[in-house]
Amino acid sequence: MKGYWKYFLNKLLWFLVTLVCAFILNFILPRLMPGDPVAAIVARLAQGMSNATGVQAIYQQYADLFGTNRPIYEQFFLYMSNVVRGNFGYSFSQYPRPVSEVLGASIWWTIALQFPAIIVGWLIGNTLGALAAYVKGGFDKVLLPVSIFVSSLPPFGMAVILMAVFAVNLRWFPTSGGYGFDLLPSATWSFVWSVIVHYQLPFWSIVLIAIGGQAIGMRSMSIYELNADYVKYSRFLGIKDRKIVGYVFRNAMLPQITGLALSIGTMVGGALVAEIIFSYPGLGYTLLNGVMGQDYPLISASTLIVTIMVLIANFVIEILYGFIDPRIKAAQAD
Amino acid sequence: MNKKFWLIASLLLIASIALSACGTTPEAATPEATKAPEVTQVSEATVAPTLAPGAPLPRNETLYFNGQQWGPVVCWNPYSSSCNNALGIAQQDNARVVMFETPYLYNMLDGQVYPLLADGDYAWNDAHTEITFKIKAAAKWSDGTPVTAEDVAYTWATHVKYSTPTGSANMDYIDAIEAVDPQTVVIKAKLDEDGKAINPLIVASYVSSNYVIQKAWTQTLEERTGGDATELLADTAEDVVYSGPYYKFFADEAKVVFIRDDNYWGKDASMWGKLPVPKYLAHAMFKDNAAGFTALQAGEVDVSQQFNANIQDLWLKDNLPISTYLPDAPYGIGASLPTAFYNLQSPGLDQVAVRKAIAIAVDYDTIIANAMTNQSATFQQVPRSLMNPTPGEQALYDHDAVNDLQWAGKDIEGANKLLDDAGITDSDGDGWREYNGEKLSYVATCPNGWSDWQAAIEVVAAAGKEIGIEITTNYPEWAVYQTVVTKSDAPLPEGYDIFMMWSDGAGPTQPWSRIRHLLSSEFVGMASNWNGNWGQYSNPDVDELIKEIPGETDEARLKEIYTELVKIYLTDIPSFTLMYRPQSFHAVNESVWTNFPHEDDGTEPPVPPLDLTDGWSIAGLYNLTLVAE
Repeated sequence: MKGYWKYFLNKLLWFLVTLVCAFILNFILPRLMPGDPVAAIVARLAQGMSNATGVQAIYQQYADLFGTNRPIYEQFFLYMSNVVRGNFGYSFSQYPRPVSEVLGASIWWTIALQFPAIIVGWLIGNTLGALAAYVKGGFDKVLLPVSIFVSSLPPFGMAVILMAVFAVNLRWFPTSGGYGFDLLPSATWSFVWSVIVHYQLPFWSIVLIAIGGQAIGMRSMSIYELNADYVKYSRFLGIKDRKIVGYVFRNAMLPQITGLALSIGTMVGGALVAEIIFSYPGLGYTLLNGVMGQDYPLISASTLIVTIMVLIANFVIEILYGFIDPRIKAAQAD
Repeated sequence: MNKKFWLIASLLLIASIALSACGTTPEAATPEATKAPEVTQVSEATVAPTLAPGAPLPRNETLYFNGQQWGPVVCWNPYSSSCNNALGIAQQDNARVVMFETPYLYNMLDGQVYPLLADGDYAWNDAHTEITFKIKAAAKWSDGTPVTAEDVAYTWATHVKYSTPTGSANMDYIDAIEAVDPQTVVIKAKLDEDGKAINPLIVASYVSSNYVIQKAWTQTLEERTGGDATELLADTAEDVVYSGPYYKFFADEAKVVFIRDDNYWGKDASMWGKLPVPKYLAHAMFKDNAAGFTALQAGEVDVSQQFNANIQDLWLKDNLPISTYLPDAPYGIGASLPTAFYNLQSPGLDQVAVRKAIAIAVDYDTIIANAMTNQSATFQQVPRSLMNPTPGEQALYDHDAVNDLQWAGKDIEGANKLLDDAGITDSDGDGWREYNGEKLSYVATCPNGWSDWQAAIEVVAAAGKEIGIEITTNYPEWAVYQTVVTKSDAPLPEGYDIFMMWSDGAGPTQPWSRIRHLLSSEFVGMASNWNGNWGQYSNPDVDELIKEIPGETDEARLKEIYTELVKIYLTDIPSFTLMYRPQSFHAVNESVWTNFPHEDDGTEPPVPPLDLTDGWSIAGLYNLTLVAE
């Protein structure tokens, strides 16, 4: 257990160092973009305002309010002290909305779309990949090219194809929105049903592509493991196939689990393509607009969430690896 | 063994499919979790008596829009101009009068204003320094109290006190707005040293561009925000009192819905005499034009205010009941002039010959056909000037007097001759002309993603190649572009030799304001120039003429001035119009509603194609009928 503690503390230290670096980068990188976000706000306010002093006064007012006219280190400490208190400040692009409200309104749509899509895509993909490796034959011959074809479709292509076929031509599903164009959110069956129906195309546009990629990865890993010496040795020893399959997939799963953790970590970044093509509510489009509008607080807050989620996911995976695969712990603890 | 494996695999597959089905459950729960406060608020305030939870908005009582609202509504505060409340708040030349109202309504088709909150026409005093108008006795706030002259005066005082955008924009021209008695308002213009109004045009436009806001509610707001200007402008104003026919019913990330106030004062015989027809106005947030277009096709949008490429295909090829204000190209009424500005400090572009050569070489027909899919009048139909294509503005200048200065475009021969005559030739044989020994090489630019502008800029660049001037294109993001272009206190940086910006549309101060924004040197040197003349053109004669217009009442003299300005514009070419663009795109789907504004629809005064929400176009909401079942 001592070895494990060493491993754990080592990982925790790196986790903290990465977090600090990521936090600083989250702050600095958006601010390195050329352009002036306050000018964009003034643009909205000052259209047609012809007296220079009036425009200048508005500019000054907002530069003061957002602190963009202060030295960058001062802005950083201000940002840090606010973030520690859970205050991400006002969103520039949706001023006077606070960033927390902007994120809060969209993030659940994104999580509800992305999380099941990632899990389902991962499960189906890995199952099919493992099957292809194990069953071989016709199944593999069909699955591999189909997977390669589907996973190399660009996401927008898949979304547009699904929309054209199932929404525009067959009219089985609606073309846009998170719920019916004529409905208002309520705790009723008609609303829930509408949400389910609107959910299908964005969901499958993500899942179908994920399946292909996962299947290819899992198939290769499984083939490699199935031919490993320990499998042959186990067979010689007369160990039951079921038990061997268990070993094989446990080993083949390792990189796939890392991939899953990363996907879950980055999912709050949003399913931008699905959101845009299906006009689906969510964080991706909000974030894109934030980037376009140089909405520093919104970009920083979103990337901070992504960073922290990726870090936590990785940390948890690394800790779990210590249990799953003693080799890793042993190698790292040296 | 194999069987067992298949069993496990099948179970896994079943589990993943089951999970996919479960995938919808958290989704379904989401809106409840996040939107709970809004739902409660809506159901408490308004939904309960009018709409059962879960029931759809009745299709035959709801008018659906697109192209106005591109993100969630942020606030309901009529003092702020950053509420992103496109359907509800827009204080502009054609002010949006769905929830808040102006004393007068501007009609871009005849250039007149019509009383809304005001009673009868406004009147200037003899010295032309004060405007007087009365408030209708019937006009009421949503809380039932009367709209008074005191409300108008207090609104202005608040704008000034808190330096709101409206206050800052007008305080150089308006001295005071006073209530003489409960019904009578006087607007006093700021005077120059000769005792004349500095700008009577801007003073007069105040009455049709700016809302009247309730004094009592404003005082509540001031109390709540402790007299702090930033707080006042950032207040979400959910409790705002309004005088218009619609108010907030529902708003979230995906949709905003207004509901009719059936106690609206305007049903009084002194105004409309009835309520507007649709009970609900709804706007879903589409994320791009393509999504909005699909919804229009599907009949989920009735009034479309977005650029729909090849709009005519919808009725010619798809046989959909969709139409535009005009049955044929250009389908709408052009109101603004998207313009290519020259950076007059770029080497060579300080020469009229170079500017004119590029301008006459451009293939405008291609721009109009490709970038606008013919939704713009051509320059053969409406020759270039400083005026928009509306008949009112076209009549303001002498067409014949500037005829010989016109150009049709795609005149490669003429452009080459012009450059040759000016001695700007290709002396080193590399295929590009030189001026003062320097190769003429420019960057033409506009914001990235503004596809119609990008298509136009490409055509401008192509023209350069034909006449030996190298023009490459570059498309920065809007956030960067706007910061660079509006910084007029320094020369424009490299990469901004020829760049596109807009010009004013139709309004009560037009065409004066548009001309000023295209040509006046007063904007040169502004650190944050959101007005115009971004190429930094300077001509004292032009400045004088522009200054003369607002105070001039003699129509013959006005025509003279406008003609002279057009002459100078077409001679000096500091910028040039690339196409005409409507004030608002306006296409309607008549599967549910009909009797929308169309050319020659018999309305008097004519209802302009402005979404049925802006200025006089709101009259269209009272004319709608349902398509017979």
